[in-house]
Amino acid sequence: MSSSAGNEGEKVTTQSVGIANHRFAFGYYRQTFWNWLIGVAFFLGGLGAGLFVLALLTDHTAGMLAGYLIVVVGKNTAHMLFLGRPERFWRAAMRPDRSWIARGIWAMGFFAVSGLILLLPRVLGPAWRLSDWLNGAAAAVAILSAIIIMFYDGFVMNSSPGVAFWRTRLLPLLLLMYATLGGSTLSLTIRELRGEVTPSFLPNLEHGLLVVNFVLLAAYLPRMNRSLPAARETLRQWLSGPYTRAFFGLVLLVGLLATLLLSVVQNHVHASGLVLLIAACELTGDFTLMMLLLRSGLFPVQTAAAYSERGI
Amino acid sequence: MARYGMVIDLKRCIGCNACTLACKQENGTPEGVHFARVVTREVGTYPATKRTFLPVLCNHCSDAPCAEACPTGATYIRPDGIVLVDKEKCIGCRACNVACPYMNRHYVAKGMLKHGYGTDGLTPYEAIKFMDFEEGTNIKCALCAPRVDQGLEPACVITCPTDARIFGDVEDSNGKLQRLIKDRKGWTLSPEYNTKPNVFYLDE
Repeated sequence: MSSSAGNEGEKVTTQSVGIANHRFAFGYYRQTFWNWLIGVAFFLGGLGAGLFVLALLTDHTAGMLAGYLIVVVGKNTAHMLFLGRPERFWRAAMRPDRSWIARGIWAMGFFAVSGLILLLPRVLGPAWRLSDWLNGAAAAVAILSAIIIMFYDGFVMNSSPGVAFWRTRLLPLLLLMYATLGGSTLSLTIRELRGEVTPSFLPNLEHGLLVVNFVLLAAYLPRMNRSLPAARETLRQWLSGPYTRAFFGLVLLVGLLATLLLSVVQNHVHASGLVLLIAACELTGDFTLMMLLLRSGLFPVQTAAAYSERGI
Repeated sequence: MARYGMVIDLKRCIGCNACTLACKQENGTPEGVHFARVVTREVGTYPATKRTFLPVLCNHCSDAPCAEACPTGATYIRPDGIVLVDKEKCIGCRACNVACPYMNRHYVAKGMLKHGYGTDGLTPYEAIKFMDFEEGTNIKCALCAPRVDQGLEPACVITCPTDARIFGDVEDSNGKLQRLIKDRKGWTLSPEYNTKPNVFYLDE
């Protein structure tokens, strides 16, 4: 049984635990500290880094440039807008030994520099090209740092014990796979819109990632069902609560199923309009999942086993 | 070195919120920020219902997840166990808010210090007290560290009319807190989060 707590005069039994609408009320507390700006930052970080890695591996300058700008401009702008004291952002890099936020900042720094080294000769001309050795090292650093950007947000959330729904090692893997999926979708879209040849493995990679992400989501939810009560309550809200439409409709139906079906059709039809629709569907599902993870997070009920069992 | 903490006797608490007000007065926190508060719950089914009270404050955890999550080191644990925030180092990333399972971290949003309670401007009292805070940073219960450093007890403790709060060294094996915790089977909030809180509750 579930009911909203904190409403005067409402019948409440010892078993009922709902969402507390203020901090003096009994119930689960909603995670409201990390808002849509963090959602946008995490989403853009994964998307841009995923796109950059795939574009670098397939020698695709437009994809590399787009991915670079999405991360360096888009993600960082969202982070700066979110921070309470953005002028002190550098302080967040001080504890890479302990904090995933710090590791993410270092990764973004390495990515910004190495990506620039790789992009300058491609965009401005060969005069900007450094030695082969330095170029190779920059490529290795760029790929490594981009991969960290793709999954570190999962560890940032995972290492925040207050929200039980994030407390699984599956989360970084899920976000890594979604970042790769977003990157491959954008890579396909940019190539199609520019009339470029698409490497044969990319559509297959896209299909494979859609299936893998579905499997990961299917594994994530049962794991949460065996987790702490706050995680189970979030799961309930996804499956039969206020987030059901967003999860089933946007994440599963639009983000995975429709994307898969449309991309299979795209393999035979090759229409620019269709590729835009595929990108819209996939990115909608991707962004919705990130926002769902953030918004539906719950803090535990302020109680202990002994307190709640006695119902005092 | 002592490890400061608190024992709260739920059998004595009457839910008067004197602790909430004493804390507000001592710290002069902005509107909507309560370092100490009383979570109220109604249990039972009509007509057999009753209202229960759970006073909460920062648990000053030995394994404080807020300190662990802080990327700048702004949140730190003093040798005596009090968890504090260095506002000069805080960047307002709110990682500590998300890390704390007890919702005892508070973010001072932009504009929050420009108005007080029920007024557009600030009262002289608020104008002085708000100088302790900085917009865009995080604040929390400091267990009245400035008072503790002077040998005084936290404001919520001295104000409690029923003596439901007992402050002291939780690691002193001969102390009152240890004795109460042992004799009356003291427990902590959400032990499954493994934060090792130093605020204990008694209900036996």
